[in-house]
Amino acid sequence: MGRTLVTITQLLTETEANLSAFRRTLRRSDQYIFDGLFAAARRHIAAIGQAESLLPFETALLAMLLEQAKEITVLQQELDELKKRHE
Amino acid sequence: MNESTGWLLDIYAEEDGATLWLLTDGDQRLRLRMDFDITFYAAGDFPLLRQAWKYLRGKNVRLERTVRRDLFLGERDVMAVTTPDPANIQKLFGDLQRQFPALDYYDADIPITLRFIAQTDMHLLGRCRVHLGDERVQFIEPLSAPWEIDPSPIPLRILTLAPDCNPAVRNPQKLLVKYNQREYSLSLESPRSFLISLKADLQRIDPDLILTDYGDTWLFPQLSTWSKETGIEFRPNREEGRQVMMRKADSYFAYGQVTYRGAQAHLFGRWHIDRKNAMSFGEYGLEGAMEQARVTGIGVQEMARKSPGAGITAMQMLTALRNNIMVPVQKQQVEGTKTLSELIRADHGGLIYQPLIGLHGNVAQIDFSSMYPAIMVKHNISPETVGVEDASEGLIPKTLRPLLEKRLRLKNILIDLDPRDCRVEILKARASALKWLLVVCFGYLGYKNARFGKIESHEAVTAMSRELMLQAKEVAEDMGFTVLHMYVDCLFVQQDGFHKSSDFTPLINAIEEKTGIPIALEGVFKWVAFLASKRDARVPVPNQYFGAFQDGSLKYRGIELRRRDTTLWVRKTQLKALEILAHANSPREFAGRVPDVMRLVEGAKRDLRIGRVPLGELLIRQRLSRTLEAYKTPSPAARAARQLQVHGRQFAPGQSLEFLFAHNESGVHAWELEEALDSRKLDTKRYYRLLDRAIQTIVDPVRSHMFSERLF
Repeated sequence: MGRTLVTITQLLTETEANLSAFRRTLRRSDQYIFDGLFAAARRHIAAIGQAESLLPFETALLAMLLEQAKEITVLQQELDELKKRHE
Repeated sequence: MNESTGWLLDIYAEEDGATLWLLTDGDQRLRLRMDFDITFYAAGDFPLLRQAWKYLRGKNVRLERTVRRDLFLGERDVMAVTTPDPANIQKLFGDLQRQFPALDYYDADIPITLRFIAQTDMHLLGRCRVHLGDERVQFIEPLSAPWEIDPSPIPLRILTLAPDCNPAVRNPQKLLVKYNQREYSLSLESPRSFLISLKADLQRIDPDLILTDYGDTWLFPQLSTWSKETGIEFRPNREEGRQVMMRKADSYFAYGQVTYRGAQAHLFGRWHIDRKNAMSFGEYGLEGAMEQARVTGIGVQEMARKSPGAGITAMQMLTALRNNIMVPVQKQQVEGTKTLSELIRADHGGLIYQPLIGLHGNVAQIDFSSMYPAIMVKHNISPETVGVEDASEGLIPKTLRPLLEKRLRLKNILIDLDPRDCRVEILKARASALKWLLVVCFGYLGYKNARFGKIESHEAVTAMSRELMLQAKEVAEDMGFTVLHMYVDCLFVQQDGFHKSSDFTPLINAIEEKTGIPIALEGVFKWVAFLASKRDARVPVPNQYFGAFQDGSLKYRGIELRRRDTTLWVRKTQLKALEILAHANSPREFAGRVPDVMRLVEGAKRDLRIGRVPLGELLIRQRLSRTLEAYKTPSPAARAARQLQVHGRQFAPGQSLEFLFAHNESGVHAWELEEALDSRKLDTKRYYRLLDRAIQTIVDPVRSHMFSERLF
């Protein structure tokens, strides 16, 4: 209420809408991954807002990367544990 | 000279000063007269001021050139206009403003109660000693302060009047009368005998407060009509020469919707409150309205019907009057110019974190107490101090400080009291009334019509709140906690091995020390579930959660149960399901209770199928978003409205109506239709779906507990 700028939530929804033709052309299995990228960005709406960037979508991309890196770290840990168990 | 002591009930303007009503220690109601001059100010171009001076010279006023302080512009040369006739100030000022619209005016529209309070240091409902001479008040001495925690209770005589049904729906047959422990009813069949009886009751009881249902919209207008028809004079005021003051009904737009406020009937010398037309009365009742009158200086009758915003504005005016700051008639501050990056930095709300989806055990919720007002007071945020270094205490912090302190003191007393103590209800009502004043104060900093508002001060508060939340998060993480969720002024934290309230005390102390704002433990959840979006289970939704505290009590936000458009049957069943889950002591036990929930749901559906659920519990309430003709594919509400339109009912956008889902052409059955729905025609499948959805909301978190939600 009473805001001048669009919120990060609105911005992500708009960007996603603008990319709808891109998404549509992807294979269904890829669409699910694509949606996951936006879900990743949405987990960090507060942080993207706090970044006060002129191009907030850049920061949103960073949030997607962050979730990916996190996923990789978790997988690596799981892999290490599995390896240990087999040694 | 003689003296009286008692409570100040009411003040209003007269042509030769003011009338005060005093409830004396001897149980008398005294009407006192007092000289009361009123001064307002005009400032602007000197030639124009000279013309205004000439214009006013022949009137009943004293004129003086003086210097007064404007909050933003500093000292200003002004023309002071003083009149001994408070009753006609509006006309005097209105005429002057029409003649000289280019001048700036100050102090011209301040209610007389506020001027009186600022001048005498009295407060409404306060104790005082009055010195009389020549039948007029010579001197008035305050004996109490509005900030007292335990004000001496006023022995009010309260008369309650209520019709036997809602007059908007049917014609009432009786008026139910209640005074002290006695209850009886007056027949409305003959207006003549009814008027005579009511008049006699009023004279005998001489109430201080007439508490009604539908008094504003039905009883007082009806009394005046009957009085004209029968020729029986009926004057419900204590001030006999006065008529009831009626205010017209209006609709206004606030918080994204149109709200309707009925006509109002105000009395002189006693109060009238219509429980059905009093804005926040349901929230904190008479005790709350009286508490607000005490601290804001707006009369009880007014305060009961007005928004807390009017109360906080009055308090700001009082602070201004007491500190010799002029109150502008029109707001003058506009938003300062900003660059785009400055705007991006400033234009934010409170910090809203996305929670970690799923079910979590042993989670503490900690809340900053009155965070925004506390920030304004601690960091001296006020429209005239924002951006000024080392400013002295601003108008807003000065207004809020005693209010904030009083609320905290009331809350602390409440914490120590046994919940069965008879004082608890009253103290709660008073604390809640003060809370509402504090809540709206923040909004009024940025509100475009607020007298002392400036958007930058509004932004400064949210910026500070985000900073404090981040500090709190850092303190929690330094101490090994996981922050599951943050929402504007509360945090949800968790750490292995921490489950007792006292386990979280060091954290609370550390946050309080770091931020300087009081923070308190709301409670420790045995388990709490943060929900995912219904559209994509990978996306968390802020402020949608439910959980059970260690004492078994539930807390839920944003789920179907909290939504007004959910049918009662679904709400009731969802609550029962939550109560079953509340027995679980951990996320693991939660899963074990889900079969019980499913049995409950089957039972509820069986009840519906065999017609054991009253139709009233199945009503759906929806709002029309446009005119009926404008619907291309009519919503269920629009279809129900069309059923009623056939019978001559008219509908406007924004109106809401109730209906049932039914097996017929339109799929709905409007509740107001003459013929009731045959219960066999009920669309039970539709209701099953509504229930299933609500139950899914609360059992879904079990899934995400077992397989943590994967993004890819």
